[in-house]
Amino acid sequence: MATLFDEIREMGLKQAAIAKLDDVVERVTAGMNINDIRAMLRGDEPRKPNPRLRPHADSFWLHIRPSFYHAEVTHIYPTFRLGWLSTFAFVWETITGIFLMIFYTPSPDVAFKNMWEIMGNVPLGQLMRDMHRLGAEFMVLVVALHMLRTFITGSYKKPRQFTWLTGMLLLVFTLVLSFSGYLLPWDQLAYWAVTVAVSAAESHPGPAFLGKNINLLLRGAPVIGAGGLLRFYLLHVILLPLLTGIFIFVHYYKVIIHGHSLPPGREAIGEDTAKRVPRDERVYFLPDILTAEVMWTALTTLGLVGGATFFYHAVIESHADPLVTPLHVVAPWYLSWSQGWLKWLFEVPFTGQELDSKVIVAFGIIPVLAVMFFVMPYFEVGRSRRYADRRVGLSVSMAFITFMLISNWQGSPEFRVQSTAEQEVQQRIMPQEGHSMVLEVPYEEWVPGTYLATEAEIERMIREDRPHIAETLELYMTALYDWSCTNSGSDLYRPCEVTDDGLYTNGVKIDVLVDPYAAIVVKQAQENMLEIKVQIKVDDPNAPVDFYYIRYRHQQGGYEIY
Amino acid sequence: MQVKIIISTVAFMLTMVIMGYAALREPARMETYTLMYEARSMEAGATIYHNNCTTCHGENGKAEECYNGDGEQIACAGRSLHNADLLCGATSKRMSDMQWLGSKHAFIAGTIAAGRSANGMPTWGAEYGGSLEPYEVEYVTKFVLNWETEALCSQPTLPPPDWPETVAELPAGNAANGEQLYSIDLGCAACHGNLAEEGSNAVGPWVGNFQNLDNVRIEGYTAADYMYESVLLPSEFISPECPTGVCAGPPSGMPDNFGTRMTIQDMADVMAYVLATETFEGNQTIVYEP
Repeated sequence: MATLFDEIREMGLKQAAIAKLDDVVERVTAGMNINDIRAMLRGDEPRKPNPRLRPHADSFWLHIRPSFYHAEVTHIYPTFRLGWLSTFAFVWETITGIFLMIFYTPSPDVAFKNMWEIMGNVPLGQLMRDMHRLGAEFMVLVVALHMLRTFITGSYKKPRQFTWLTGMLLLVFTLVLSFSGYLLPWDQLAYWAVTVAVSAAESHPGPAFLGKNINLLLRGAPVIGAGGLLRFYLLHVILLPLLTGIFIFVHYYKVIIHGHSLPPGREAIGEDTAKRVPRDERVYFLPDILTAEVMWTALTTLGLVGGATFFYHAVIESHADPLVTPLHVVAPWYLSWSQGWLKWLFEVPFTGQELDSKVIVAFGIIPVLAVMFFVMPYFEVGRSRRYADRRVGLSVSMAFITFMLISNWQGSPEFRVQSTAEQEVQQRIMPQEGHSMVLEVPYEEWVPGTYLATEAEIERMIREDRPHIAETLELYMTALYDWSCTNSGSDLYRPCEVTDDGLYTNGVKIDVLVDPYAAIVVKQAQENMLEIKVQIKVDDPNAPVDFYYIRYRHQQGGYEIY
Repeated sequence: MQVKIIISTVAFMLTMVIMGYAALREPARMETYTLMYEARSMEAGATIYHNNCTTCHGENGKAEECYNGDGEQIACAGRSLHNADLLCGATSKRMSDMQWLGSKHAFIAGTIAAGRSANGMPTWGAEYGGSLEPYEVEYVTKFVLNWETEALCSQPTLPPPDWPETVAELPAGNAANGEQLYSIDLGCAACHGNLAEEGSNAVGPWVGNFQNLDNVRIEGYTAADYMYESVLLPSEFISPECPTGVCAGPPSGMPDNFGTRMTIQDMADVMAYVLATETFEGNQTIVYEP
């Protein structure tokens, strides 16, 4: 065998180097030399035997990709690239996640501070965090849409039932991945969302020790603390990514085995011709599919980077506090439906005995639905994938989506959650957590004093060029209108009526404020800090209110930018 | 395929431009966010302070105006925090009084977390059995430190009054004014209790019996001598009987700044109230040297 030295002697240095490079390229690509790659990029026909097929047989990365696709599945329809986008999102989350891991310690003592250090002390740290969070929302969305698409085109049908099942697993992993990441910032949002979700285990209808122990296992202690945070962290960065990675490979392998299902109208009923692609309808992975994927990678990356730079910032609330439950704790949007279900009232038929909705939802509806989804392809065995033949199935799926959207709305505080009227008003302009109109007023606009929620005050603010205060007072008045009524014939509010329970109502809300006095009182707390008090008083002897809520606003608080 | 490659290249370049833009604005943005975290920590500290500390230290931190749960004004039991003695200089006066070698931040955080039995400051830190988590102690510390301003620290310290060397030279006292000073304005009652009720004292000795202290605690001191010295120079002699046992010190748990906080007339009024006499007899020379 000729050594490199012999070759140099024989061919000269340049030629020998080129030959060596060619050799290296062919090894790395598992079968394609430099000329093959150049020919591929030029769009030439491949030489024979086709070197572009060898990487699919010999290389690790391409052995789970088909070497050619049916031309019919390379357009936007029927796949919408959703499966591929899901994989992209997983890789995206892995990369941004590893970056964030470098600056994060899963301990309640420092986790929250770490988040602020990532945003204030790590170059591009906030961008990475925003991209990770945005990518997570994106992943949940595309994985769910991918499942919906697979259902609509009937691609779960024989022989792809098992692919569907692994896909269902991946959906569950995606949701749990996203949710386990929720706890890590250790802010109020994280703490309470997870506390509520995990407490479902407590309602276990079986023997008490079971529910108690499941809970203990998840939380690491009777309440979520250092142990719970570490557990969720390990779930989030090791167990779930590992499982997801493994099942992505299984899922992909099944696609190789069965091929991409064609659009339903393209093949005879009951036939699966995905693997029998006529020569003239083949689109080879190399170079066409790969180029398309590179393009989608570039575009999606652009979208996510641009989105996270200009439009989307991951929120952070105040430090987690087990003793303070913020008003209106909500689940993340993709689990909001379950919170909606928890608000339902379940009764035993005929006897009218009320059941615990937690038990019914967590150990009844959700597991039953999940099992139904997992095994659906093994029971739904209609032969036709065509839309016209599947009117019932498609209608049911649309009805289900509608139902889920309504359930999601029911998960919001608008549905069956009401605290006192004055708290609801305060929540609108200066909530304990989250977006707050009052705090977003630039520091310089405030002058210590009392700001009444009246038209005259708003006009004064506009005259004095203090638009943010004017806007805030307007919102204040709107919130008061929603939650108040008048006994004095004021034209600000709807007239009061009295319900059978003796509560005041304005016809929309019950137990409302009667002709309230409402103000924002601003005082100087420290040289660079204001004390801002939302004050609501009602003199009516039947429903007196003397309410105030205080927040502090530092000059550098920066609420107007984040 | 060419179109796709062009689109990819353009998208990639745009991504890089956006990243470049993000990178360019990073230094300024990071600075803002660092300040934001500090600011929001202070805000959270302000809320904790408002909920836990104002009964003893007052809303403005000066321990001048304190209210109990029913909204009645009471004597402030705590020391003034919005105060140059605590906040000004790398080693402030109170730190050097305590012979504290650590940072000012650690001095304040440590005091909040561990408490001070000599002053009746409760233990707040969860690690010492209190109710505040370490991060909350940190927030309150930042809030207290935020009272340090140039205006506060550049205030000229007024010279103390020219304290007479014997109690006989004090003007006649007004017991009614003295009661107001004792019970509310100077905060004496917070530690020494109600004169009429033995055992109402919280931290310091009960002073309801001071009029009987001629020659009791220190040989040769009249009650007026003893009280005058104790207020001006609390560490000279430390009373043996505090409600929690032997009184702490030296230095005494009693603040040593009454010599600068009170006027001569204030002193006469408080003494008149405690000792139930308008004029004072003494036989000691007491030289005030802060």
